[in-house]
Amino acid sequence: MREETTTLYLGPQHPGITGNMMVKLQVRGDTVEKAETHIGYLHRGFEKLMERRNWLQSFTIVCRICVPEPDPNEENYARGVEEIEGREVPERAKYIRVMVLELARLASYMLWYGGQAGSAGLYTMGQWSVGDRNYILDLFEELTGGRVYHMYIWPGGVRRDLPEGFGDKVLKTMDYLEKRLDEYDRLLFDNSIFQKRAQGVGIIDPKKAIEWGVVGPPLRGCGIPSDVRKDDPYEVYDKLDFEVPNIDGNSDVWARALVRRQEMRESIKIVRQVIEKMPSGEYYNKIPNPLKWSIPKGDAYVKTESARGEFAYYMVSDGSDKPRRVHVKGPAYVHGITLLENLLVGENIADVSFIMNSLGTCPPEMER
Amino acid sequence: MENKELVLENTLVQALQEGFTRLEATVKRKARVEAKIDKDILPSLLLFAKEKLGYNHLSHIGCVDWIEDGLFEIVYILWHPTEKINLLIKASTERENAIMPNIDYIWRQANTYEREMREMFGIEFPGLVGRKDFILEDWQDIPPMRRDFDTEKYVNEHFFNRPGREDAKDVREQVAKRSGEDIPEFAKKYSRK
Repeated sequence: MREETTTLYLGPQHPGITGNMMVKLQVRGDTVEKAETHIGYLHRGFEKLMERRNWLQSFTIVCRICVPEPDPNEENYARGVEEIEGREVPERAKYIRVMVLELARLASYMLWYGGQAGSAGLYTMGQWSVGDRNYILDLFEELTGGRVYHMYIWPGGVRRDLPEGFGDKVLKTMDYLEKRLDEYDRLLFDNSIFQKRAQGVGIIDPKKAIEWGVVGPPLRGCGIPSDVRKDDPYEVYDKLDFEVPNIDGNSDVWARALVRRQEMRESIKIVRQVIEKMPSGEYYNKIPNPLKWSIPKGDAYVKTESARGEFAYYMVSDGSDKPRRVHVKGPAYVHGITLLENLLVGENIADVSFIMNSLGTCPPEMER
Repeated sequence: MENKELVLENTLVQALQEGFTRLEATVKRKARVEAKIDKDILPSLLLFAKEKLGYNHLSHIGCVDWIEDGLFEIVYILWHPTEKINLLIKASTERENAIMPNIDYIWRQANTYEREMREMFGIEFPGLVGRKDFILEDWQDIPPMRRDFDTEKYVNEHFFNRPGREDAKDVREQVAKRSGEDIPEFAKKYSRK
């Protein structure tokens, strides 16, 4: 019998790949011996573009860095500018921002439900959750004018106030989604196919996870309850009551799925509190004429807990009307490259996209 | 009151200054401490922060091109999982023949950041293993994230206008032409002409 390995190119055009990227696999039989992430299919040069645009023009493109969940980008950018400039944000705007961020997290997790179940061959789950996600996108459309990209959270506050009766609509949607989550449990988490596929696959060493740069649900799946919303609170998260899931699991795909399942319920809880506690008043601290708007020299490191983990911006101003540097670091920069390349070794080819989905690999934030 | 709140941050600044004499450390705000150091001592400082102070999570490595000073400033951002502090360590290197110590033996994910900086800024990291092509492919020009890379010139040399769209190069000019209104004085500096 000849012992040899085959090179398998998974992507960039492949239904199991989470976006425009490619994983080059060396396989022996159907076991992966070596994996290498290749990116560069989606490089749009946002960081370079921002150096040539003024502070407000740059705000309009940051949301494009992540399709499933654009709002953490807007929030990071806005908060970074506010921190360097020392601009105050009205309390009401902070509450609205948290509401938008949590709705975006829910929408992103519902897309994840589709991807995770779909890569195990369970397509009904995706049709349900992506269908229900549309109710959240409807809310976004009413609030911001856009379903996917919102350009809503901007420096100084938010772009417009809540429409009349919007809070009630949000609460109704939350009631509906909460009922649906029980049905998702029955369809996905009670499904023995999903249980068998997810348990014991893609195990991250919990002792090494922090050192390897793992963040977000994969880190919480290792039993380490780390969350930017608690560790380095921003906006009004320190005034809200919510739990960070502490899963005593196996650090596998199953544990990460349980983390997300629990977090959806926490997000619904947060949205309800925000609607209840939202103060009245201003929603925007007006910026000067954007064409003449310069930011004092300085830098800021801001981070948000997105659905996939810590999303960070390192922003530098040289005192001019354009950013000197905006460096974006999404969780997939580590999860999709060094972590994925190491996790895939020894796994089955069929589990590659399954593991990628559980890590939340997202090429746009790897190459910006 | 403020000093009481920043107890952990101030302790960190003290620990850094005791360990390294040629180091400037300041508390930027709650949970953010900044330290500036010579690039030759950088690996020892990073190892010190990781092994002795418990900053074992590397969050971020960013590079800023200060072309007017002829420097690249590289910032290493570390995180302490229990004290909940971000430590920003800044080191600079000359733009000409830029070279920085490789630290991917301290944190393996640093390899990705370094490969990107090698490609996008042209900074060399001796001992860095990994494909030369990271995001770009067959790139012949100067590294594109350098401030002196002229994006417009590059586009004009490498791409052509879609037939029928030759007049749509500057939206501001076109809107002014079609509407018959002048471009306001303050907006003229943004026009390409």
